[in-house]
Amino acid sequence: MTHYPLLGPVIALVAWSIVMLVWLAVARAPVLRGRAIKDGSRGTDLEQAHPGKSNWPAHNYQHLMEQPTIFYAVVLSLVFMDFQAPINVWLAWGYVGFRIVHSLVQATVNIVRIRFTLFLGATICLIGLTTHAAIWLIRG
Amino acid sequence: MEIDPLLGPVVVLVAWTLVMMIWMAATRLPAMRQAGIDTKTQIGGRGQDLDGVVPPSVQWKAHNYMHLTEQPTIFYAIVFALILMGASGMPMSIYLAWGYTILRIGHSMIQATTNVVKYRFSLFLISSLCLLGLTAEALYFVVHATL
Repeated sequence: MTHYPLLGPVIALVAWSIVMLVWLAVARAPVLRGRAIKDGSRGTDLEQAHPGKSNWPAHNYQHLMEQPTIFYAVVLSLVFMDFQAPINVWLAWGYVGFRIVHSLVQATVNIVRIRFTLFLGATICLIGLTTHAAIWLIRG
Repeated sequence: MEIDPLLGPVVVLVAWTLVMMIWMAATRLPAMRQAGIDTKTQIGGRGQDLDGVVPPSVQWKAHNYMHLTEQPTIFYAIVFALILMGASGMPMSIYLAWGYTILRIGHSMIQATTNVVKYRFSLFLISSLCLLGLTAEALYFVVHATL
């Protein structure tokens, strides 16, 4: 068994995404109950019929399927380059921490100013990781 | 060269995603022509604007392709993490990863054709459980290695 400190944040964010998937299901279940479901319908159709708060966890889950994909790509690249300096481990955990709080905000109070700040913090961590990967690539 | 057995389900699901992309294009382009959309002069506009413009069954392929670029991304991440941690030797990981890929292919077939939500949802649910199993395994390894 090999231990890579950079894999911790990757696995934690995947696990958190599954938590949000469960949250979205729980939030939407009451809206779905008793509703006739037409062939071919999707979550987004539900939103039109029933806008508002019950869709917020789903919005966040969707969001977690977007930017984190490049987080996984860059962190795995850093692992392959064997550039696992503590600063990268901190940045990766920082990204995950910001994203988890971002989820909690979006799924509950959803105050955009706070959500945006958290997203910005996460993105800065991601820029740091990407810059390190790029520097390592050029130096190598 | 020894190939890690966990790479099989990853490569197959990527290949399947490309199949869905081709299926989407092959049905959407003729439908757009039929709807009188001239792509040569078109500026802006995205695939989702076609909902309600072309027949639903045409959009279903696109809905599934989009779906395949969502959750499977975390499947890839977790499988790569498991490979790096050396979990490929565990039959459990291999079963779960193949289970995920096969169930997602079945999910695509349903969404692209009959699109009965009950069946589609069941396959999505079971595939998500496979993903949950893989994630739990990875969490176990990482906690085990840290302590």
